[in-house]
Amino acid sequence: MSHHLPIAGSKDEPLYAIGARFETPEALLGAVERLRREGVSAYECFTPYPIHGLAEAMKLPKSILSFLVLGGGVSAILIALSMELIPSTLIYPLVVDGKPLNLSALPQYIAIVVALTLMIGAITAVFGMILLGGMPRLNNPMFAWDLFAKEASRGFFLAIDAREKKFSIAGLSDLLHELGAGDVTAIHLEASESPQGT
Amino acid sequence: MSTATTINSAEKDAPDLSVLARPPQVLNNRGPLWVTDAVCSIVEGKTPLWWYAAITLSGGLAAMGGACILYMIVTGVGVWGSNSPCFWAWDITNFIFWVSMAHAGSLISALLFLTRQKWSLSISRAAEAMTVFAIICAGVYPAIHIGRVWFVWFLFPVPNSYGMWPNFSSPLLWDVFAVTSYLTVSSLFWFAGMIPDLAVLRDRATTKVRKFAYGIASLGWLGTARQWRHYEMMYVLLAGLTSVLVVTVTTIVASDCATSVVPGWHATIFPFYFMVGAVYSGSAAVLTLLLPLRLLYPQLRELITPSQLDKVCKLLLMMGSCVAYVYVFELFNAWYSANPFERGAFWERFTGSSAWYAITCLSINLTVPQLFWFKAVRRCLPLVFILAILCNVGMWFERFMIVTSTLTHDFLPSSWKDFHPTIVDILTATGTLGIFFTLFLLFIRFVPIMSMNELKAVLPGTQPDHSRRETH
Repeated sequence: MSHHLPIAGSKDEPLYAIGARFETPEALLGAVERLRREGVSAYECFTPYPIHGLAEAMKLPKSILSFLVLGGGVSAILIALSMELIPSTLIYPLVVDGKPLNLSALPQYIAIVVALTLMIGAITAVFGMILLGGMPRLNNPMFAWDLFAKEASRGFFLAIDAREKKFSIAGLSDLLHELGAGDVTAIHLEASESPQGT
Repeated sequence: MSTATTINSAEKDAPDLSVLARPPQVLNNRGPLWVTDAVCSIVEGKTPLWWYAAITLSGGLAAMGGACILYMIVTGVGVWGSNSPCFWAWDITNFIFWVSMAHAGSLISALLFLTRQKWSLSISRAAEAMTVFAIICAGVYPAIHIGRVWFVWFLFPVPNSYGMWPNFSSPLLWDVFAVTSYLTVSSLFWFAGMIPDLAVLRDRATTKVRKFAYGIASLGWLGTARQWRHYEMMYVLLAGLTSVLVVTVTTIVASDCATSVVPGWHATIFPFYFMVGAVYSGSAAVLTLLLPLRLLYPQLRELITPSQLDKVCKLLLMMGSCVAYVYVFELFNAWYSANPFERGAFWERFTGSSAWYAITCLSINLTVPQLFWFKAVRRCLPLVFILAILCNVGMWFERFMIVTSTLTHDFLPSSWKDFHPTIVDILTATGTLGIFFTLFLLFIRFVPIMSMNELKAVLPGTQPDHSRRETH
């Protein structure tokens, strides 16, 4: 291996990513813009709180979560209406206080439709966020890097995937140093781990 | 601020923007690292003695409440003071009281988030926790008040060999769905907001057990740009859904009363009545919980600032005034309806055997919140604490008045019968207080009580200054 970077994880295992730490969100944002200009695409940023403009700089697409929630809500409306109307009007017609069974009685079914729509919409939102964000996950190769494992809640980290073919490892490390990154580290997988996608 | 006479011609064109400056989110120019340490230290530090004392007391109350519920189940609802015609008494009073208290938590976090009111960030997590725990307390009652608890599954639409199916036209069934949705959505909202903060606790954990527990709870959160992108979208969506849900749930709970034909309940103002009362009692509960917390953990004084508490007091004042308006309007409506039963119900409410609690309710809720017009009152935190507790007491009496005074005085004077709570009623109600405080104490001790990631994102200097950077 032709680099002199500090190594995290197990040296004999395959390289997972090149990690770097930036001092400020501006520096991270500057690095992302530069990487994009250089044509590097397989990288990920790690921040303790959402940084305005970072996703735009990374050219991340808009989250599809809103469409999923719309889908969840619409199916909830259909489920709720069939749950109420099919039994109450067809299977076990239930006449209470002489209220009609036809469509003019629709308002009395609305409350449950609203409640279920909101509930299923919210469930879709939370579980959608968890799955789209690659969670739940018990471990992550990034945690082989001790500095990241300890400081992820305060530092601004960048990791370039080892599958990035545009630059050599040495080239990437020079580029990161030039951008003001500190603690540039080669993160290898840990001995017991099998390679997984990010 | 400079006065007009001292402005020279060059300055005249530039508007004075200092008047628009918002009070700082966190006092003393604290940075993100300090915020993390301050919030995490509550969870990571040694368990204080008062915590053990408090949880012993509240846990004891909760156990007593549980014992009363068990006694009620094995004996029957006759152990309560509920009677004919007052079939609903403290069970529904306490149900409405707790579910209403829950509403302010959702509104503070969801509605104020949607309207970009950043001052609420440091209190929203605790308010959401209050919501979840209050719904749990509220949920105790509907299940047990049916008497034969083993038939509670009749409420759910499960196909069964009896050929029965729930009556979807009944507001009582709407209630089942509304409260179930509310508990689910507010728990999800609370938990999802906590995921990044649980990850912070995981990264800071020093013992294997903590690392494992917070690792599982944070679901493997890393804070990648992609995760934040989905997370922020989810938060907006959840805030929107929750805001609508709060209004829906109150409306449905109010419909329990309003769709009946009982004088004193059969009024279109009820959903609004319940809504403003809910936010009013909930804001008071937020103050009741946060002020002692600030005293016990001094670092919170810089995070929950006097200016933020001042705003909660103003919310309380506004909602208290709405409540006062509804009281007056209700009386006006009774008179203007020219309906002898409606008039009679209200006359009886304030002159009959229910007069003592109706007057207690009115005298507290019409006067106490009005004291918050005065800045001196809003700034005197011990006084705010006492007044907030009084507001909660007043609201409990309001729920008691709405439920009991109406039912005990229906159409036929011959069937009127007063309600007297039994010792089981009183101990069960105290037990729900115990459940609430036990859950809240566990919350303080084991999860971050403030949304660190949201706070850090709005502190000065934590976001890149886009005006100074070249655009891309």
